[in-house]
Amino acid sequence: MEALQFIIILIFSPMLQGLIKKFKANMQGRLGPGIFQTYYDLARLLKKDMVVSNVTSWIFRATPYIVFISTLAASMIVPVITAQYPFVAVSDVIALIYIFGLARFFMALAGLDAGTAFGGEGSSREMTVAVLVEPMMVLSIFTAAISAGSTNLAMIAKTQNIFYSPSHVLAFSAFIVAVIAETGRIPVDNPDTHLELTMIHEGMLLEYSGRYLALMEWAHYMKQMLLFTIAVDIFFPFGIVAGALGITGFAASFGIYTGKMLFMCFLMALIESTRAKMRFFQLPSLLGGAFVLSALSLLIYIMMGR
Amino acid sequence: MQNWIEAFYVIDFISVGILLTAVSMNAVSRLETCVKVYTLNSLLLSLLIAIVATIIGEAHLYAASIITMLGKGILIPLFLWKIVKQMKVTHEVEPYISNTLSLSISGILVAVVYASLKEGIFVTGFAKNVFQISLAVILIGLFIMISRRKAITQIIGLLFMENGLFLAGFSLTFGMPMVIELGVLFDMLMGVIILGFFAVQIRKAFRSSDLDKLTVLKG
Repeated sequence: MEALQFIIILIFSPMLQGLIKKFKANMQGRLGPGIFQTYYDLARLLKKDMVVSNVTSWIFRATPYIVFISTLAASMIVPVITAQYPFVAVSDVIALIYIFGLARFFMALAGLDAGTAFGGEGSSREMTVAVLVEPMMVLSIFTAAISAGSTNLAMIAKTQNIFYSPSHVLAFSAFIVAVIAETGRIPVDNPDTHLELTMIHEGMLLEYSGRYLALMEWAHYMKQMLLFTIAVDIFFPFGIVAGALGITGFAASFGIYTGKMLFMCFLMALIESTRAKMRFFQLPSLLGGAFVLSALSLLIYIMMGR
Repeated sequence: MQNWIEAFYVIDFISVGILLTAVSMNAVSRLETCVKVYTLNSLLLSLLIAIVATIIGEAHLYAASIITMLGKGILIPLFLWKIVKQMKVTHEVEPYISNTLSLSISGILVAVVYASLKEGIFVTGFAKNVFQISLAVILIGLFIMISRRKAITQIIGLLFMENGLFLAGFSLTFGMPMVIELGVLFDMLMGVIILGFFAVQIRKAFRSSDLDKLTVLKG
């Protein structure tokens, strides 16, 4: 029963994307599409025919499955509503980062595989951003891991604290920047546009259509929800069930989890509505700043002890 | 009164805020924002002194807090603001090294301070953290002074150093005598005014506030 908590991420991740779009539209004074629009899009894409260029190799055809399955595997080892589940032994933060790395590696290869200019551009940009984002993600997670005494996500979540101290606030803000960069949101990448000068994530998906595109998009939504879940697991894990999961425990934990996800969606929509897209060559300034922030959080934790 | 200060780590948050404002000076490229960051730093400094004053309950600390707020939080920023307006400088500060690199270097400076003060330090309690942060602020201010081109940002670097020194003195002694504080403050105010006039004169004479141009001999 507890092993099936990843189904929450599988099912609700497109709705999360719809919610962010809805919040964003409301903040900008528009009505916006309904929150189920992403489901309709996925269903439509799954029904459509695929156009696959005949110069592509097996990498192009294997990548959607690899990306989808590795994201699914990552969502199995993350505690969503309970911290007591069969995969606890492997729910390590470092393993998780590498599973994301596998998906990203194949996505970048597939972007290059079709041989179009935009695909290669998207891949090279994605890799540039990834090099800057990964260390700061790891450092900000380490701040929480040191205070919990373990890099195991379930152990970090089980300490049942609202981590409230200067170092954790710094680590959380650095982690939010990392989440923005990883999910391709506005100061880093624009998720709504296919303008060739700005796109990073969309550039790599440009050659995909039909079922493959649906899998890639769905994997992207899942990764987004997964990153939000990791953020709330690490930085405010209150309300997560530590023992066996009963009906009341499930209801309470699921309710709190929904609230936390709504908060994360609202935060993302707020950042997207109030910030402008940065030029690509200014990104190292933002990401480097966030890296220094995460390094400072670790230093301050070590020196102050809280 | 003391309970919530300890429960919510207020002193830690404010001192980390002072450190962060100093570090973020390295990423700022607009002169107006530089002045704003310095103002925030000074206001946080005076807030820290006020909070410590409520814990210890000494009257002269309240006075020190108010003097800091008036002098460094209001008077000096207003004057700096006026200089920035007078010089009609472009927004951008052109540093010798890039923002990202100078941010990383200031992070390394903080690490060096922490590593070198890990042991053998004779202050204890919250003053230990504050003392480390004050040394980091001094070093960052020095780094801003040597890495920036414009006269006005070098002045702001000097002011950051002074804030760090003030914080260091405060964490070691819980407030220097009032005479010394007043003296330092007026010294600072005069220094900033003279430096400001110099900056304006440099701008008038060389048609640029870039200090590199001073190596060219005139007439």
